Amino acid sequence: MLTWFVVGALAVGVYGQRALGALVIDTGRVNERWRAVLQHVPLAIIAAVVVLQTFTSSREIELDARAVGVGAAALCAWRKLPMLITVLVAAIVTAGMRRLL
Amino acid sequence: MSNEPTDVGDASSAHTNAQLFGRGEAATLAFTYFTAGLAVSVLHVTQGTDPVVMVAAALIVNSATSTLAYAAVTASGGSTLAGVFSGWLVATRFGLFAAVLGPRLWPQAWRKALAAHLAFDPSVALANREATDDNARSVFVQAGLWLCVPWWTASVIGAFLADGLGDTQALGLDAVLPAMLVAIIWSQLNSRRGVAIAALAALIALVLVEFAPGGVPVLAAAAASLLVLRSTEATGVEAR
Repeated sequence: MLTWFVVGALAVGVYGQRALGALVIDTGRVNERWRAVLQHVPLAIIAAVVVLQTFTSSREIELDARAVGVGAAALCAWRKLPMLITVLVAAIVTAGMRRLL
Repeated sequence: MSNEPTDVGDASSAHTNAQLFGRGEAATLAFTYFTAGLAVSVLHVTQGTDPVVMVAAALIVNSATSTLAYAAVTASGGSTLAGVFSGWLVATRFGLFAAVLGPRLWPQAWRKALAAHLAFDPSVALANREATDDNARSVFVQAGLWLCVPWWTASVIGAFLADGLGDTQALGLDAVLPAMLVAIIWSQLNSRRGVAIAALAALIALVLVEFAPGGVPVLAAAAASLLVLRSTEATGVEAR
C-alpha cells in the first residue's frame, strides 16, 4: 500500500537519479563495465519480484493458480500482446484456475 | 568502432527532417502507457492505496516499476525501508538513460532538470536515434509527453475505477503484478546474458525467501547483475 510518505521517498530517489544523470554524470568517465552492471540491476530485481509473487505466499514456497496465470502472461508477452491484455489474461486464468481447484 | 559513415550510412536511421516522430510511434506509446497506467493504478488501489495518493504517485514518482517493486517487497513482509530501497534500485536505469542523453539536451541546467522527469526507456531510445541534438531534444520531449500524459490520465481513471472492486483474490488480481512485470522485462530476455541474469536473480530470491527477513531476497537478487562482468570480458565492446 502506498502512503504519502512512501510516495515522497520514492519520488526523491527516482527523480534524484534522473536529475543526477541529466545534470551531473559525465558518461564518458563512467567505466563501461560498471555501467553495464547498473543497466542490468532492474532486470535482476524485477525477475526476483516476479518469482516471489508467483511462487511464494507469506514467505513460503507455494505452487497455486497464480503460476498458471503468470505462465499465460508469459505466453502473451512472447506474442507481444499489449500489456493490458497480458494482465487481463493473467487475472482471468488465475481466477478460473482457482474456481476449478 | 568503425561504423561512422556520415552520409550514406545515416540515411537509413535518420529520416527526413519533416518526420522526426511519427504518428505511429506516438499512438503506440500512448496506447501502451495508457493501458499500463490503468492496470498499475487499479492494482495499487485494490491493495489499499488511497486513490489521491495513487494519482500523486503517478505524477511525481513517475515510475511504475518503482511503485510496483515497493508494493511487492512490502507485501512479502519486507519493511517500508526495504520497499523504498528496492523502488530506488529499479529506477537506476532512468539515471543512466538521463546521463546518456544529458550532453545532447539544452545547455541550461533548469531545462535539463525539467526534462529529466521525462526520462523513460522509450523516450530516450527514440531521441538517441536522431542525428542532430536539436532533433534529439524535440523527439525526447514529444515522446516523453506522448507517454506521460496518457499514463497520468489513465492513473486517474484507474484509481477511481478500482475503488469499487470486490474480492481481489477471486478476480485473480494477485497475478496481475507479476504478469505486468513479466511483460516489462520480456524484451530483455532475448539475449543469453539477460536470461542468465534473470534466472540467477530468481534462484537467489527463492533460496533466500524462507530464511532471510522480508525484502532481503529481492535486494540480494540485485547481485545477479554482476554476471554482466563475465560476459563483457568475453564479448568486448558491445555494450551501448
